[in-house]
Amino acid sequence: MEVWRVNLAEQSLKREPVPESWSRFGGRGLSARILLDEVPPTCEPLGPHNKLIFAPGLLTGHVLTSCDRLSVGAKSPLTRGIKEANAGGSTGLHMTNMGMKALILEKELPANGKTKSGWWVLHLSLTGARFEPADDVAGLGVHDATEKLLARYGKKVGIALIGPGGEMRLSAAGIQNLDKDNLPSRMAGRGGLGAVMGAKRLKAIVFDDAGGKKPSLANAEAFKAAQKKFTKNTLEHPQTKGFHDYGTPAMVRMTNAFGGLPTRNFSSGVFEGAETISGEFMREVLLKRGGESEPSHACMAGCVIQCSNVYGGEDGKAIVAPLEYETIGLMGSNLGIPDLDAVARLNWEASDLGLDAIEIGAALGVAAEAGLMKFGDGTRALELMREIRQATPLGRILGHGATMTGRVLGVLRVPAVKGQAMAAYEPRGIKGTGTTYVTSPQGADHTAGNTVRAKVDHLDAKANIAISRGAQINSAGFDTLGACLFAGFGFMTAPEVISELLNARYGWQVGTDILQLLGKETLTLEREFNRRAGFTAADDRIPEYMRTEPLPPHNAVFDATDEDLDGMFNW
Amino acid sequence: MRVTVHLHTVLQRKTPEGMLRQLEMMLPPAGTLGDLLRTLDITPQGDAILLVVNGRQVDVTQPLSEGDEIHLIPALSGGAPHHAGLAD
Repeated sequence: MEVWRVNLAEQSLKREPVPESWSRFGGRGLSARILLDEVPPTCEPLGPHNKLIFAPGLLTGHVLTSCDRLSVGAKSPLTRGIKEANAGGSTGLHMTNMGMKALILEKELPANGKTKSGWWVLHLSLTGARFEPADDVAGLGVHDATEKLLARYGKKVGIALIGPGGEMRLSAAGIQNLDKDNLPSRMAGRGGLGAVMGAKRLKAIVFDDAGGKKPSLANAEAFKAAQKKFTKNTLEHPQTKGFHDYGTPAMVRMTNAFGGLPTRNFSSGVFEGAETISGEFMREVLLKRGGESEPSHACMAGCVIQCSNVYGGEDGKAIVAPLEYETIGLMGSNLGIPDLDAVARLNWEASDLGLDAIEIGAALGVAAEAGLMKFGDGTRALELMREIRQATPLGRILGHGATMTGRVLGVLRVPAVKGQAMAAYEPRGIKGTGTTYVTSPQGADHTAGNTVRAKVDHLDAKANIAISRGAQINSAGFDTLGACLFAGFGFMTAPEVISELLNARYGWQVGTDILQLLGKETLTLEREFNRRAGFTAADDRIPEYMRTEPLPPHNAVFDATDEDLDGMFNW
Repeated sequence: MRVTVHLHTVLQRKTPEGMLRQLEMMLPPAGTLGDLLRTLDITPQGDAILLVVNGRQVDVTQPLSEGDEIHLIPALSGGAPHHAGLAD
């Protein structure tokens, strides 16, 4: 494996050996290590000193079920701290086929030269790097741009691209990756990394792995044995069938049952319309509609869980792929919209613009609180999203997310931490996830340590401190492995499989505590970056109003103590 | 006493009218959640089902009252703290 270092200003590519201190990392941990080593934590996120890192996970490359994920990292223009955004899809696999330990994008491309539009496509293959004008795809939505890029470069490539949102350098912009069916559906969504890519004038990166091959294995037999065990455990786990048939939308009725489903700008944890946006209801709808609808769908080749979906309309045509829980939460219940078709249309707009649906949903919730739309009005919500596409001042404000929207419109109740909007778990209803929002170096991020499935009283703040800590460590570990959090089903039945897989692939001798070791190290690196960027304990706090305003139905407030929160990373 | 039971994902019941996921049940006065599960022929293996009454997690010994809202939610097994937090 090599580090592929691209200097965008010089338009050069260097393929370098992997430094010893980077070799034991992948994914999120590797991104953190590189950023701490090479990026001044006080740099301007959209300036030339920020670097954009693409790092496949340690296990990525062998089509292990659910383990080919990709981390994208940089300093975030949204949180102004370290950011890792994680995605499934095929980019990770293309990178490992080309022997890429990591891709580091430095500086920025010129506004002129070969390009008329000011936008570029970076084409990477085993013969080197080509910097080509993106004139025919600049300004296009993600779906049209993908079609043109596939026509130009062929259907076997991987692509990471930004939409108009990233081109506008909006802080809610993400970076999309192709799934195994070549749809640009897997977004490295949170924290504005699409704006960083846009600031570098890069519309798309094409990963052409022609002539490449899977990474070598130190012990192929041992790897195969561990892989067999892992696949079997994943297939047989009772939760796998649930996720296969109902996907993440199964969370709607679950979170609603706990009183933690964000409703009408996080003003309640229970939504009277939950039934008609639930996973169970969605499955019935999709099975009835047929056509292009698919209640089960794999985002990565070889995944046996297949938790994703394709959401189609009554005419049988796909409206959006996928329609996931977070979007149903932030653009459904959070906006008071009980209609999946309406949510699907909002989701498609966000996806085509290349924007994080969580951040935009939260921004729209804040806008509704400010009176710019009525809760429940899906049509008006779409109109507001069209303002983003038209780059009106209001559109730009919304496109920078919930915190900017709240500040400009004078709304106090903004559900965000470190400038990043909360996900579809109300922190007063699910206090463990709330604790993760508050303390995670990533800002308000549920994948950084979700506790909703833990066997704990979600309203007991003290009991949830350790739960959040354990969840954050594990999640950081999974993100470093390149494993989907849902691979946890297979791993937790026989956790020794993780070390067996790593030792067989790399010839290491790591123990069964490797997941936690990787997780802790990753979090330590991220915390250090943020400390140098100027973050203090004052940034690890819930929005003030959530300490005093009780959330129905339990009338709960967020009451974790400052002392407990500040002790989160003492291990 | 009458309670309302909500069945999640794979616990839903197939009926000729479609998937049944909410039902009203009559239980004897001093019934527990364990009694209700037996009546429904549901045997949770370990922590494989989250048992939720009126929005709070409970165990099978939980006594039930008139009007209780019960949610039976298939979940990740393994309740050790460091196994928590996996899955969206």
